[in-house]
Amino acid sequence: MSENLSKLSARKGLKENLFENIIQAKGSPVALKSIARQHKVGESNVYGASTAYDFIQGSNADKKAYICNGSSCLCANSQPQVKQKLLAYFEQTDIGHATCLGHCHENHSFQLKGKNYSGDDINHLDTIINSNFESKENYTTTCLLDKPLLTEEINQIESYYQLFTELIEDKNQQELLQTIVDSGLRGRGGAGFPTGIKWQACAAENNSEKYVVCNADEGDPGAFSDRYLMEQRPHSVLFGMLMAGYLSGAQWGVLYIRDEYPDSVTQIQKAIDKFEILNLLSGLDFEFQFKIIRGAGAYICGEETALLRSIEGQRPMVSVRPPFPTVKGLFGKPTILNNVETFSAIHWILEHSAEAFASLGNGASTGSKLLSLDSSFNNPGIMEVAMGEKLSNVINRAGGFSKPIKALHIGGPLGGLVPLEKIDDLSIDFESFADNGFLLGHASIIGIPQSQNIAEYLEHLFEFTAAESCGKCFPCRLGATRGKEMFQQALKGENKLDRELLDDLLETMEKGSLCALGGGVPLPVKNALLYFMPEMNHLFEQIAFDKIASIDISDREVK
Amino acid sequence: MTELSNFAGDKMAYIDGLPFPIVTGETILQFAKRHHFSIPTLCDDTKLESYGACRVCSVEVALQADGDAKVMASCHTPISEGMHVQTQSAQIQKLRKNIIELVLTDHPLDCLTCESNGNCELQDVAAEVGIRKIRYKNSTDHSDYRTDQSHPYMRSDLSKCINCYRCVRACDEIQGEFVLAIQGRGFNSKIIKGASADGIELSFDDSACVSCGACAQTCPTAAISDVFQSKSVQAEKKVRTICSYCGVGCNLEVSVKNNEILSIRAPSDAEVNQGHTCLKGRYAWRFYNHPDRLTSPLLRKNGQLEKVSWQEAYQFIGDKIIKLRKTLGSDTIAGISSSRCTNEENYLMQKLMRVAIGTNNIDCCARVCHSPTAYGMQQAFGTGAATNSIKDLTKTEFIMIIGANPTAAHPVTGAKIKQQLMKGLPSIVIDPVKTEVAKYATYHLQLRPGTNLAVLNMMSYYIIQSGLVDQNFINDRCENWNVFEEEILNIDIDALEKISGVDRELIKQAATAYANANAAMSFHGLGVTEHSQGSRTVMNIANLAMMTGNIGREGVGVNPLRGQNNVQGAADMGCQPHQGAGYFPVDIEENQELYERHYGVAMPTSQGLKIPEMFDAAINGSLKALWIMGEDVVQTDPNQAHTLNALASLDLLVVQEIFLSETAKIADVVLPGASFLEKSGTFTNGERRIQAVRAAVKPIEGSKTDGQIVADMINHLGHRQSSAEPEEMLKEISQIVPFFKGVKWQELGDNGKQWPVLEDGNGTDILHVDEFRRGRGKFHFFKFEETKELIDHAKKFPFILTTSRILEHYNAATMTRRTGNELIIDKDILLINPKDANKKKIANFSKVKLSSERGEIELTAELSDKVKAGVLFTTFHFPELMVNRVTGDAKDTETLCPEYKVVAVDIDVVI
Repeated sequence: MSENLSKLSARKGLKENLFENIIQAKGSPVALKSIARQHKVGESNVYGASTAYDFIQGSNADKKAYICNGSSCLCANSQPQVKQKLLAYFEQTDIGHATCLGHCHENHSFQLKGKNYSGDDINHLDTIINSNFESKENYTTTCLLDKPLLTEEINQIESYYQLFTELIEDKNQQELLQTIVDSGLRGRGGAGFPTGIKWQACAAENNSEKYVVCNADEGDPGAFSDRYLMEQRPHSVLFGMLMAGYLSGAQWGVLYIRDEYPDSVTQIQKAIDKFEILNLLSGLDFEFQFKIIRGAGAYICGEETALLRSIEGQRPMVSVRPPFPTVKGLFGKPTILNNVETFSAIHWILEHSAEAFASLGNGASTGSKLLSLDSSFNNPGIMEVAMGEKLSNVINRAGGFSKPIKALHIGGPLGGLVPLEKIDDLSIDFESFADNGFLLGHASIIGIPQSQNIAEYLEHLFEFTAAESCGKCFPCRLGATRGKEMFQQALKGENKLDRELLDDLLETMEKGSLCALGGGVPLPVKNALLYFMPEMNHLFEQIAFDKIASIDISDREVK
Repeated sequence: MTELSNFAGDKMAYIDGLPFPIVTGETILQFAKRHHFSIPTLCDDTKLESYGACRVCSVEVALQADGDAKVMASCHTPISEGMHVQTQSAQIQKLRKNIIELVLTDHPLDCLTCESNGNCELQDVAAEVGIRKIRYKNSTDHSDYRTDQSHPYMRSDLSKCINCYRCVRACDEIQGEFVLAIQGRGFNSKIIKGASADGIELSFDDSACVSCGACAQTCPTAAISDVFQSKSVQAEKKVRTICSYCGVGCNLEVSVKNNEILSIRAPSDAEVNQGHTCLKGRYAWRFYNHPDRLTSPLLRKNGQLEKVSWQEAYQFIGDKIIKLRKTLGSDTIAGISSSRCTNEENYLMQKLMRVAIGTNNIDCCARVCHSPTAYGMQQAFGTGAATNSIKDLTKTEFIMIIGANPTAAHPVTGAKIKQQLMKGLPSIVIDPVKTEVAKYATYHLQLRPGTNLAVLNMMSYYIIQSGLVDQNFINDRCENWNVFEEEILNIDIDALEKISGVDRELIKQAATAYANANAAMSFHGLGVTEHSQGSRTVMNIANLAMMTGNIGREGVGVNPLRGQNNVQGAADMGCQPHQGAGYFPVDIEENQELYERHYGVAMPTSQGLKIPEMFDAAINGSLKALWIMGEDVVQTDPNQAHTLNALASLDLLVVQEIFLSETAKIADVVLPGASFLEKSGTFTNGERRIQAVRAAVKPIEGSKTDGQIVADMINHLGHRQSSAEPEEMLKEISQIVPFFKGVKWQELGDNGKQWPVLEDGNGTDILHVDEFRRGRGKFHFFKFEETKELIDHAKKFPFILTTSRILEHYNAATMTRRTGNELIIDKDILLINPKDANKKKIANFSKVKLSSERGEIELTAELSDKVKAGVLFTTFHFPELMVNRVTGDAKDTETLCPEYKVVAVDIDVVI
């Protein structure tokens, strides 16, 4: 985080945005040099920022085809086949990877010509390449509530937004903010921070320039509920942002949408266009402008401070808190930053009352939650449930599993690995998961097949963390790589795993990391060590723990 | 710095079970350090923002004595009342050890052969946490990173980098240069210095690095260092002294072994420079024992300078002076003192002239730089010195920079100003050149050289027109307002807009922004003073400050950026022909009596000659002898032919120098002086701060300190000067110079004191708080007048040349050319606007001929939009080029400061 870079980038702000300029330069040092000059920042800064994204420059940029290497496609083992088919049309070097295109419900995911494909699409490569082919992507949307909240269809845009016009006439800002507080809505990105409190904090800041930012960088492999909302219910997102802007006094609503979601960008842009045609704000003493900033392939941008730095054109690295974004956010100005699903809940709350929302759930986790169910379910797709819904019921209503499963990976790569025997203990809310040693997170659910080697899965998680670490804090930057190496070496038979060292590593990352990436990956590893140790036992050194300290297992000594 | 006002009442928090008072806003790390609890860290540097990368500073934090403890990084977690912090619990110790173990998996374990051995923060922390083994096996690492030895000073060996990014942050947060950045992400995040057009990483030498060394100083390992191995622990002593380049007055810490200097660093507790300095202060010191150093007095015999003994040299000079004094009178003798020398040496030099010889013909190089500042501010305020302190930069709400390029000429203050400007502090830069600060400024008024007064008068006009004057301040504290106001309202805006070339609307916006600010500071440099209306422009800057009430409090004022390390001091000490030590006018009887009481001899009664008058007098025969201490007038004074002619006309030219400068080459006697690294005394910086200069090494064999030379001559001429040592000298000076009253050598400490220093020893941050030194602040109106240089020569020579300095070299570059700086920049370059270049068919980096009425030179032209069409820019650092062959005779009306900034020239391609 550089205050200088933040303030210099702010000079051109969102209109001639530095990050967008950096993306357009495609890593060309000459183009970047001119961008640096225009924005009065360092050439090294823009070059360095450019190198932090998968799709701007480097070995994975500018590929003709991208294969999804997310956790669900890995577990489904669908990608070797996808790759083989692509190789009939493309050189090996023309094929890159994308970590989760959010088509986990049918896997076989890949991107061609800027569009995402999955399921049976791979069998239509010829048509895709040579003519127009619309993806046959198909998933079910189920709602276990009597009346849907988030999954309800929005038919009439005018009347949908009318709620805004009515509310700002009938109620003052304090009352509306209180409604959000009273609803008990908590951030749906995974951290679960009370939304109303966040909004009140930003509204309380005395600053003429503020921002609302929507975190639409749904990078968790296995999650696609935000994608669903953006593509199927985009106005619910915009409405929530609009309200946040009105209540906090912001002028801009920025949607940071990951590059891997091209359809989301299209649908949100269409929705913004429609919103603008409504001319809803004319005559009001409130100006609010939406803008999409498209990501460029960096998982860490899902972390709120890295996301803000990304929009500023800085390297997407995690900043220390405090100051929190509500005080010093985008361009150093007070900012409300929420997840897509959080914003999407606002309309329903304001339409139906805080009490109605709070009556769902367990009191601490209120309202409804979207689940992303991957292909290991018989009816994969999006499921809306009330907070507190039994996990076992979710599985039942999804038609059970499509294949033999030994665990569920819930809440993204940093979520817990839930063995089958723990399923009955869990309900869909923050508390139940935390109390049982798991994490609800963003509530994506991937089935880990019986056939999946757990140690290989852990290697995959470490590899993902190592690849996506921003490189700032020592425990994550070094620890993720060391964890990956330990599992790689063990799986190759080169070096057995040292349990004490692994425990130390996990503790170091968990307690020492700056953000939830390095801090989060130990959870699924620890779950695996607890529930699947027999499967991995042969990978560990079989030495009594008390002897480890006395044995020199180092090939290097500190001088 | 912790200010007492921040103490949060009697709120307490606990460290390892013990209660301590907290300060609002401090982090746990700051809180613990303040109470002397040590918490290890690798990425924290008190000069930088909290960053939270290494996590080694983690502590356990509970909100109650036995409450649940969480592990938190102390460097970015604020302390709050009632917190219980455990800094050394078993869990924390284990965490730190495990983190360091991870760090060492990617760090070469060659401590014993490493430059930083014994002075490495990683080594210290590894020892503290007790690492004995690294348990990770076959770890990939970055030992394949190549070292970068491309640069004359900077070095990098990124295999030793621990990715704390202190260097990147220092480059950004301290120097504001953005040269260093991070490439890639995760494990492969790497420090870069930029990338070439084909995407290859740049070396230090190819990068835009300004060699300030902030990265090397903050790097906790040997990943970034310098050629002087300033991290090594070989030094047998470290001497704290003051830099002798610009007027910022950076504190330096000189490492010495066997009477040789090993390296220089910037002490972090220095109030002036807070652990920062520039490449001149930090790296350009190798001149001190350069083979070119003069090691014996030289006397011209049969046309040749020959080595002689000190005695012979003194005898020769003494005989000549005594004879001249007897036959033609004392006023046929003159002296030029040096702003590069100490206060004590300057004091002695004026004493030599006034007391031992009996003439007021004493001047110093302030004549050719800031004499208009001293004069103009005396007229307006009563004191010719900066009204405020540099630390006010953090308090001000507006910065106006007129005719100054601080990032080049005052790098540390320049970096501080730039930091504010980059963050968007409202600002005006008035400069014909697109300087680095202009790039970040809110308003850049890019005027035609020589039209400062036009623009400033327009600003006054718009402030009055917009009703933004501070009438209370004017009524209570100033005089002559009504006359001034009436004159200003009658100025011809149309004409001034045309002549200055700056849009009136832009001037109006800038002026109203300045007037609307709650606290506005102005800074000015030689781009104000070195003009025919230099003094008047200074008075105009004072007008703007007074009419907006920007005087006498924090974050405001008129702040000249003094060019040389001791230009303030040279004038303070009386090296001016019209004022003696302490600024008492010499032609007033009362003052003559005052000096006579001190010195016990009759004082000369008429004002002496200013430097340009000395040259004229030499040519017309009324000046016969000139003694120059440490100034190369041949290279640096304008119209070189005239200077040479003057010096050739003398009977005696004595030059005290450390090198055989262009002036020394034609002297009759050359006396080998000493550099600042070899002498003790005091320098007074641009914010009136008197700081102790302490000899790091003995004067090079055969040389003497300049003060000793002058003292020897005073004694030789029959007056008693028992000592030239600072302690004795300051005792004498403090009895004469009122604002030095409380200055004592032993009490100066590391950070010195800002004058006036009262009898009780207390210094002064801000001048003119309740009333002006002269009583009421005086408004002066002056009409813009075109310089004679352009009136006389513009037809024949249609371009305007403006001369200046660059970061890497210092004035005549006598010192910097004899250091690695020469390898960075080795010639003066002429900047020309591409439009002009096109018209004149001048290609980038081609040779051009620059000519004026006085002469012509050839140099290399560079196409640049830093200058507007019609304006050319160059520096005068290199004697091979002698830019001052073309500069002219126009001078400031009041002080005779030469107009280096406006020279009528023409330019042509060299075929």
